[in-house]
Amino acid sequence: MPETLRLALAIAGKDIRAELRSRTALLSAIVFAALVLVVFNFARDPTALSAVDLAPSVLWVTFALAAMVALNRAFTIEREHGALDGLLLAPLPRSALFAGKLLANLAFVGTVEALTLPLFVLFFNVDLRAALPGIIGVTVLATVGFVSVGTIFSAMAVRTRFAELMLPVLLLPFMVPPLIGAVQVTARLLAGRPMSEMLGWLRLLALYDVVFVTLCTMVFPAVVDE
Amino acid sequence: MLPEPPANGGYMVAAYIVAPVILVGYLLSLWRRARKVLQGD
Amino acid sequence: MTTTDPSARIIARGLRTSVAALAGLAVVYVLAIGFTPVEARQGVAQKIFYLHVPSAWCALLAFSLVGIGSALYLWLQDPRLDRFAAASAEVGVAFAAVMLTTGPIWAKPIWGTWWTWDARLTLTLFLFFLFVGYLALRASLHDPAERARFSAVVGILGMLLVPFIHLSVYLFRTLHPQPIVLKPSAPSLPPEMLRTLLVSTAVFTLLYIGLVTLRYGLAMAEEAREEAGDAA
Repeated sequence: MPETLRLALAIAGKDIRAELRSRTALLSAIVFAALVLVVFNFARDPTALSAVDLAPSVLWVTFALAAMVALNRAFTIEREHGALDGLLLAPLPRSALFAGKLLANLAFVGTVEALTLPLFVLFFNVDLRAALPGIIGVTVLATVGFVSVGTIFSAMAVRTRFAELMLPVLLLPFMVPPLIGAVQVTARLLAGRPMSEMLGWLRLLALYDVVFVTLCTMVFPAVVDE
Repeated sequence: MLPEPPANGGYMVAAYIVAPVILVGYLLSLWRRARKVLQGD
Repeated sequence: MTTTDPSARIIARGLRTSVAALAGLAVVYVLAIGFTPVEARQGVAQKIFYLHVPSAWCALLAFSLVGIGSALYLWLQDPRLDRFAAASAEVGVAFAAVMLTTGPIWAKPIWGTWWTWDARLTLTLFLFFLFVGYLALRASLHDPAERARFSAVVGILGMLLVPFIHLSVYLFRTLHPQPIVLKPSAPSLPPEMLRTLLVSTAVFTLLYIGLVTLRYGLAMAEEAREEAGDAA
């Protein structure tokens, strides 16, 4: 187990360093997220609904869309450089390879989310201070869920002609349970509700993560091996 | 004694038409494709 | 054309079964309209139930078999399983479409609104999107082995998504109880209604079997055609 983890971290580190060098995907994903927030601001009637009511939905739709953009770019870069083929020739356990890809994608999407959050606070005038630890927690839980499935699907979509369209079509149904849970928990956190009201949703999120990370690790060989 | 049931037969007719149209339509499309493949040689 | 003979037989069998099922559907219509009592509160529109519920069942059956076929394919690598899963997905779309059209047509007179996010409609909507995604992916992959493997992955992941959709909808609805004017399916159905429902379900299942057989045979014939074309 420690060996697999070490390999996974090495693979993730390589991907993250490669992305830090070029930075284009990261920057475009952040700009995209910022633009989505701007669109949301103008797409609502400020007299009809308060910012706090809409905040959880706006935040999570933005996160979901940004994650999709990020995932697409990550694998497209991969394909352009042919790096994955090299890794596949090495006698690496596929679970380590998946874990590495997953960690790199999580770091990527997580960074986009972390940089989007302050923008969200700024544009929508939402006070997150009390709820911040909880928000970080639920963001981690939900993101792990949809990035694990997203890693599998982006690896497949990249082999099709219309990858940018194929990934959302495949992934969006899978993003719905984490999204519902995340929005419900975020709404309660912002309203200062007690933890007991969120437990059901948090359990859903955790269960989703366990099931899908396991499942995705198991099917990853079918996606990358001939 | 009991109130009359609502007069919504139109909906029933609509559904009873739409359902077989979809199913028979799909069956016909399969049949046409099959004919093309089997006899197109 | 010896290479297409086995597929021609399967296609013929699927066609016969489907036509038989359609004849059965006519019987169901007679039963439902002529020999089943009208529900007092919902009126004649309630009879949509006898088409709506069996088609939902078939969509779910089709989907489960796509999932099981996918899992078995990844394990056994038998291309027949992949062919079956693809057939089941396409037929599933048809039944999901029936469910998603009869649903709103039923909901409007009964619940006053075209769409409700109730458990069954929502789940079938998701099945529809999962089917479509599965078929779209297949259409954009041209290497048969890769297409089979990738579809199988989507099939398995999709199958495991279903319980989570269920759970999410359940948790969501306990927070937002919909105002229910009339309960569409009474807890205990009168015997004639139950009988009609069961007959209809059997007929729809037979139609599923016929259509999948036909679609499977068609896939076999198309593959044989392509191989002959490659060899030529």
